[in-house]
Amino acid sequence: MSGRSRRDFLKIAVAGAAGTALAPSLGRAADKSVTLLHESSFIKTFDEYMQKTLAPAYEKETGVKVVYELTSVGSLPTRISTITETGSGADVTMIFLLYPFLFADKLMDVSDIAEDIGKKQGGWYDAAKEAGIVNGQWKSVPHSNIGQLMNWRTDWFKEVGVTKFPDTWEELYEVGKKLKAKDHPFGFELGHGFGDNHGWIYPLLWSYGGREVEPDGKTVVIDSDETARAVDFARKFFKDTMLDDVLGWTDVSNNKAWFAEQISCTNNAESILWLAKRDFPDIAKVTDQAMNPQGPKGRFHLLNCIGHSVFNFGPQKQEAHDFLHWVMEEKQLGGWYASADTYYQPFLHAYDNAPMWDVEPRNKPYRDAMGSAHLPGWPAPPTRQLAEVVAKYVTVDMFAKACAGASTKEVIKNAEAQLKEIYRTA
Amino acid sequence: MSIRTEPLIGVTRAQPRRRPASLAAWLDREPVFSWLMMTAPILFLAAFVGYPFVYGILLSLQDRPVAHVGTFVGLKNFVRDFNDPIFWRVAINTFVYTGVATLLKMVGGLALAVAMNQNFRMKNLVRAVLLLPFIVPTVLSTVAWMWMLDPAFSIFNWFLIALGMPKPGPSWLGNPTLAMASIIVINTWRGLPFYGITLLAGLQTVPPELYEAATIDGASGWQRFRYVTLPLLQPIILIVTLFSVIFTFADFQLVYVLTHGGPQNATQLFATYAFDIGMGAGQLGLGASVALTMLPALALLILALTLYMRRQ
Repeated sequence: MSGRSRRDFLKIAVAGAAGTALAPSLGRAADKSVTLLHESSFIKTFDEYMQKTLAPAYEKETGVKVVYELTSVGSLPTRISTITETGSGADVTMIFLLYPFLFADKLMDVSDIAEDIGKKQGGWYDAAKEAGIVNGQWKSVPHSNIGQLMNWRTDWFKEVGVTKFPDTWEELYEVGKKLKAKDHPFGFELGHGFGDNHGWIYPLLWSYGGREVEPDGKTVVIDSDETARAVDFARKFFKDTMLDDVLGWTDVSNNKAWFAEQISCTNNAESILWLAKRDFPDIAKVTDQAMNPQGPKGRFHLLNCIGHSVFNFGPQKQEAHDFLHWVMEEKQLGGWYASADTYYQPFLHAYDNAPMWDVEPRNKPYRDAMGSAHLPGWPAPPTRQLAEVVAKYVTVDMFAKACAGASTKEVIKNAEAQLKEIYRTA
Repeated sequence: MSIRTEPLIGVTRAQPRRRPASLAAWLDREPVFSWLMMTAPILFLAAFVGYPFVYGILLSLQDRPVAHVGTFVGLKNFVRDFNDPIFWRVAINTFVYTGVATLLKMVGGLALAVAMNQNFRMKNLVRAVLLLPFIVPTVLSTVAWMWMLDPAFSIFNWFLIALGMPKPGPSWLGNPTLAMASIIVINTWRGLPFYGITLLAGLQTVPPELYEAATIDGASGWQRFRYVTLPLLQPIILIVTLFSVIFTFADFQLVYVLTHGGPQNATQLFATYAFDIGMGAGQLGLGASVALTMLPALALLILALTLYMRRQ
């Protein structure tokens, strides 16, 4: 009896293992599908438009099924890493920031798509080229920018006599002092979030003429008078206008503070107004958005681009390429953009005056900001060293330490040492 | 034809009867069956523990950007780590975090176990409720803590302001020292039930006669605890501490969700820093080297505790 049950156990185990191993390959053989990996959108209608309109339309037109695979916010880089390391998974992926450069060797050259789409739809913004071209080849077809701009409370600004958003950092500082005195402080993230910190720190540095590294991608130039002036400004800006808590904020924090009516100005994506209109209509009425203030060397914004790339090792890479081309055609793309109003700001000039911009005119600064948007670390080229600088929060922490009380000289020296160590491998 | 086939059929029939019988007998042999049963766990461990571990070591010895072929660089990644000022900050953070949180969990867990070992009404219900922090998914409980530590919503700030502290009260996650203290407290809160319940199980194995004898000999409550309870619990305390140190040293979720290592790396630990470098910057080799630097410290600790237990 016991012998029989042992053999049965072994048989079941072997059969189960074989079944598990064989089942996926059998299933795959019967499919004709393309899998598109996307980070779950903050705007639900955007994902729904792909699931309910575009994917069925493509299947009807070509017979190829589109599987829209959603991953949670923040987990996309890990997913892309896994796919490139294992050589299996989705065929097309959403991609953003520096990742087209990091994964370039595993991504298909999609220059034909990008050039065709650009030609047909009014041409690309320069920012799109900065985000998608790696060593002369388009490694991702840019889709849109999720801009980071100034969000401000019109009612509280009005209390201190301001009806138009200040044009310079210094003017904003003066307004901020008055507002903090009236218990309406500013709140700009200085902690270790994903984007709301870089969203204003890099533009501030650039607008004072500071930069981390030269365009040669080797020479560290953070230790400059321009950087020192930006750091000095940030320190007084923090001390006299903000909540102390911003030093520990992550990306959710400024949203919470905004809806708790705790802060009168922050730097965020359009989502603040979008969410306010949905859940806090009274706050939405007094929320406005503006381009970043300018400094002595101009006005800058962070390029927070998203695009789509095709993995160059997949068995269905040609089908994936064709699908990406199809979805970027005006007939499909226009509707896809419109499904999210202007949360995703198009990189193509054909949409500069699209009707979606009239749905919420307060979003128009996001369109206007794209002309002065750059990737983190600009004007250094996007490289693995730059990715390390961003991942280690070198520049954010340089400003944060100064705001917490360290001297300008000390924080710049520390940042310089870190940058030199990282760029030593360049 | 039939004359020739009959004996052959007979032979072929006879063989399958014998073979399963011998296979069954062979499988029934204790050494064979035990090895067969051991094979699955060994393969499992080799695949999911051994392979990643060895792969991690190989990665740490390579310059290995994500999506690129690695090149062997020897110990260069470790040299880079040692030249990185954040790395040393991370090392100090991890030791402080692990040391203080483990101590608090040990003392608190022991107190909890002693309290739970008393007889009172609804004892079982209270014991079950005490396990909640351990059962609730870390990410979920950390989000709850995130609200409690936000000065705008914090019950602690509300209380302190009511006591006269100026608004908005302490910035729990914005101040480097308070941020470290906060993650230690949350880790302690989460890990206390593990200590408490395990030590409670140990307490219940202490024979009551020993307490009776000690009482007859005139021992006070403290003396009974010091000379009866504590020595008998020592092996369990050591094992729980061993587990707790390993879990705490490699903690990731709490910090990743709550502070992501901020402010200014004040709460950055080995696991979160390795993840940022490996996944955020795509430097798999360098990330692996940061993660592996945890190994010698943990290995030494485990060795020391194991030797101590053997000696006991």
